[in-house]
Amino acid sequence: MSFLISVKKVLDRMLEGLVIVVMAVLVLDVLWQVFTRLVLKDPSTWTEELAIFMLVWVSLLGAAVALGRGAHLGIDYFVGKLPARAKLATEVLVFLSIAAFSLLVMIVGGVDLVASNLDLGQESPALRVKMGYVYLAVPISGFFLTLYAVIGLLERLQRLSSIVNRKS
Amino acid sequence: MDLPVLVLVVSFAVLLLLNVPVAFCMGIAAMLAFLAMGGMPAFTAVAHNIATGIDSFALLAIPFFILSGLFMGHGGIARRLIDFANVLVGRFRGGLAYVNVLTCMLFGAISGSATAAVSSVGGFMVPLMNKMGYHRDFNAAVTITAATTGLLIPPSNVMIVYSLATGGSVSIAAIFMAGYLPGILVGLGLLIVSGVISIRNDYGKGETFPLWESVVRFLRAIPAMLLVLIVIGGILLGWFTPTEASAVAVLYSFILAVCVYREVKIRDLPEILLQCGIMTSVVFLLIGTSMAMAWVLASENVPQGISAAMVGWTDNKALLLLVMNAILLAVGCFMDMTPAVLIFTPIFLPIAEKLGVHPLHLGIIMIMNLCIGLCTPPVGTCLFLGCGIAGTTVTKVMRPILPFFISMIVTLLLCTFVPEISLWLPEKLGFLK
Repeated sequence: MSFLISVKKVLDRMLEGLVIVVMAVLVLDVLWQVFTRLVLKDPSTWTEELAIFMLVWVSLLGAAVALGRGAHLGIDYFVGKLPARAKLATEVLVFLSIAAFSLLVMIVGGVDLVASNLDLGQESPALRVKMGYVYLAVPISGFFLTLYAVIGLLERLQRLSSIVNRKS
Repeated sequence: MDLPVLVLVVSFAVLLLLNVPVAFCMGIAAMLAFLAMGGMPAFTAVAHNIATGIDSFALLAIPFFILSGLFMGHGGIARRLIDFANVLVGRFRGGLAYVNVLTCMLFGAISGSATAAVSSVGGFMVPLMNKMGYHRDFNAAVTITAATTGLLIPPSNVMIVYSLATGGSVSIAAIFMAGYLPGILVGLGLLIVSGVISIRNDYGKGETFPLWESVVRFLRAIPAMLLVLIVIGGILLGWFTPTEASAVAVLYSFILAVCVYREVKIRDLPEILLQCGIMTSVVFLLIGTSMAMAWVLASENVPQGISAAMVGWTDNKALLLLVMNAILLAVGCFMDMTPAVLIFTPIFLPIAEKLGVHPLHLGIIMIMNLCIGLCTPPVGTCLFLGCGIAGTTVTKVMRPILPFFISMIVTLLLCTFVPEISLWLPEKLGFLK
């Protein structure tokens, strides 16, 4: 468990750094687009595409960071009325559902999405990037989401078992 | 009800009750519905919807408006607006309450988020009002409700989400323009309530300022207010797309916060960018998975079914509009704005079309309802944030906030039944064909 937590810390730093850099580049990229059109009168052709690719990557990788920080919002009103132990049990279910979704849709579905796009050989018009590589963000984000969900799950299970032990 | 729809609705409801984050509720419910439909690779279909749902240049305006809002919140821009509003309305009885509402509206006109207004305007105004003898719970109530005007007064991120959810039948620029008058009306309603309560409680008059001081305060607030001109003017004149305007807003608010007002240091930048990235991801995962859910609903003809059922039940337009308001108010009590807009727009849009309600008008109705939801328990982002900042509790705020709710609901009904309030400005500017 403590090993997992230190792994998570390293991953957090890495992902956070990436999110910060990509956000900054995104702003510069679109400002450059405005500048080339309004000032240079020679609109850049690639900035819009690059911005979209970075948006896909930053929002999917950021989704994992947000999961690690508990930033995704749910409706905690009903669960909040439960006693502590039952509440912890629902949290186990929450992380199980998130892990299942991340594994099945984001990783399995995502890999399939990337593979079928690469098969089609579809390229973006300006940058000539294969769309499969853009969508690679889905399974990679899925990997981190699954990892964070499993860490959250194990942590809840540990707390649940310590409560059960204390009672008996 | 067909099996896939049943699976979708039941699994979504169960997961929601368990406090699974809404984005994942939608993703999992869509995945199960795809499995129930059969005939296609369910996992890939959901992954495809998520990926293609977020790869849009128009949506890029959302992170940028979030980022410029963060710069404005941290950058001392709210305080300059407060100083300026104080010159305008501070001298009257209950002046600080007016200053609070007016600043929230001004702040809303340059930023797109209500929570930013609660923390940066309320964080300064509530302690000041406490000190000047205004009741703490009243102060919280004013701040919480006034902050929501920023979601109607453009730029507004929830309007960008609405424009996306209508499938592009409403442009971002048009819905921005539709929001001005309703937003100002909500603000006026709140000003009136603040006035009545202040006179009743005999709250103090504020200062009057000598002319030179007024001029100085006005000059100091000008750079902040110029942002309206650049963003909205730039979009209207066709200089920028909304996304480009939002990037310019980032640059401008960055220069203001870092170089002019100097309240944000370069070393704060990584943390601000990270905060923006995380807030963005939360919204975008919601957008992605809601696309998968909307796909299932559309392929099973659910929105058409619901609208046929509702119009078949009664063809009374006023009654149906009231029912839509009631549903949205109830939803807003439990759900945050972005997921509610993403889920209910595709369902309500066909009804609105049948009733002859313009999509712009529907958007304003939806956003006004959900704004009230931001201030109500059990789930109300602004309510909880405002109570936290004022150091009071939700229970204590409930009574003083009630008159503000009533004024918001009156304004809502006014805007529901007088479509011109929403449509006049976009029409004058040539957004209605």
